[in-house]
Amino acid sequence: MDVTEQLQALKDKYKSVEVEVPVPFEFDLGNLTAFDSNGLDERRIKNETNNYLKDLARDGTQLLLNQIFALPTKSSTDGVFAELPEPTTVLPRAKPLPKPKLQTRWEKFAKAKGIQKRKKGRMVYDEQADDYKPRWGYNRANDNQDDWIIEVPDTADPMEDQYEKRRDEKKERVEKNKKQARRNLEERSAVEAGKNPKEVRKAQLEKAIVESKTSTASLGRFDKKLQNEDVVKIKRSKRKFEATTIDASKEAESAMNIAKKVLKAGDSKVINVSKAVKQVAGQASAEMLGHKGKKRKSK
Amino acid sequence: MRPLTEEETKIFFEKLSKYIGRNIVHLVDRQDEPYCFRLHRDRVYYVSEAIMRRSVSIGRDNLLSLGVCFGKFTKTLKFRLHITALDYLAQYAKYKVWVKPNGEMPFLYGNHILKAHLGRITEDTPEHQGVIIYSMSDVPLGFGVTARSTGDARKLDPTAIIVFHQADVGEFLRDEDSLT
Repeated sequence: MDVTEQLQALKDKYKSVEVEVPVPFEFDLGNLTAFDSNGLDERRIKNETNNYLKDLARDGTQLLLNQIFALPTKSSTDGVFAELPEPTTVLPRAKPLPKPKLQTRWEKFAKAKGIQKRKKGRMVYDEQADDYKPRWGYNRANDNQDDWIIEVPDTADPMEDQYEKRRDEKKERVEKNKKQARRNLEERSAVEAGKNPKEVRKAQLEKAIVESKTSTASLGRFDKKLQNEDVVKIKRSKRKFEATTIDASKEAESAMNIAKKVLKAGDSKVINVSKAVKQVAGQASAEMLGHKGKKRKSK
Repeated sequence: MRPLTEEETKIFFEKLSKYIGRNIVHLVDRQDEPYCFRLHRDRVYYVSEAIMRRSVSIGRDNLLSLGVCFGKFTKTLKFRLHITALDYLAQYAKYKVWVKPNGEMPFLYGNHILKAHLGRITEDTPEHQGVIIYSMSDVPLGFGVTARSTGDARKLDPTAIIVFHQADVGEFLRDEDSLT
């Protein structure tokens, strides 16, 4: 039996895996791409555009797959995988670059003075504990807040509580830091909104002054005036009511509209359950009676 | 004196509709003569337009009352019906309660209505519904709010409260000086 004929027939069914192109393709296997730099056949693209493009695509894909099959493989339980090399083509970003964050006051100052950031270790040696402890936070190293004894300085008031003083100083430092952070945030948000931070702050203060001046029982009428205090005129919208004597028909119409609204809202809300139950029960009994009546009539 | 704002009208009508339901329409749209609601010193007055126009000439401090006082707005902008509104409420009442003669006096002294004093009640009255109280001879005595629905009320013992007292005509004597 000659199987060569059959094999040849089977082969002819599919196109050859070998594709011949005048200029070899360039491949970027990391991105699974092939670049074809051959010229187009103008006659074919005019006469049989679709078929020509399909052929081109097929050939390109065949070449790409040939390359992929030539790569080293790795087999796992899920199947055999080709190991792709690193991509060589640089792809553009999908999103624009993030805008640089606005510098805080300290960062600006440090840049002007040429102060560099130095990396500090997290753990610090604590002499008293003879151990490494965190630089800051809970159980920090060299914490002077709970010293068991504190020397009173010569110049200090002997009755002053040195512990309290230290506590207060620390509180102040924390408070100051928070204030500066807040100020940085405000300035940043103002700049991002395209405003001058100083102007924003000024407007805020002026508003606060007006608010505080009108927050007394007399709306500031009897407050003590400072020397050379600016006279701030406060404009508030006045309450407005309809005139006492308006056209009766107009008034009745508006009242009627409101009444309808109120009644409509009430209708949708309330369902008288007992009434509804009774109605259903009544209908059922009426039907039964109706049946009996018919029977009698038929008799 | 001024007309009610939209919000005030809404609150006022919501309260009224608890007692007379859809009949508030008849108060607004009257066939005989145009009537209107006016607010004066937190009180809402129901007054014919002719009288209202005449009373404009009286100063705010001097004007005591005009038309019929329906009730007043509290400082938290809730509306309280007064007994003076009874004429209109009784006329358009949706749910009614009749009290027996022996229950009239206790109610007129400001007490709630007990089951024992209940003469008749409108069928299918729901719970917490505004109702108008009548004597057995159909004389309006006041108004209140039902404590139980008609169905539930049947099973109660005679000392149980059926209607919570809100206002009664006894107030015309008891609160003579503050009613307007």
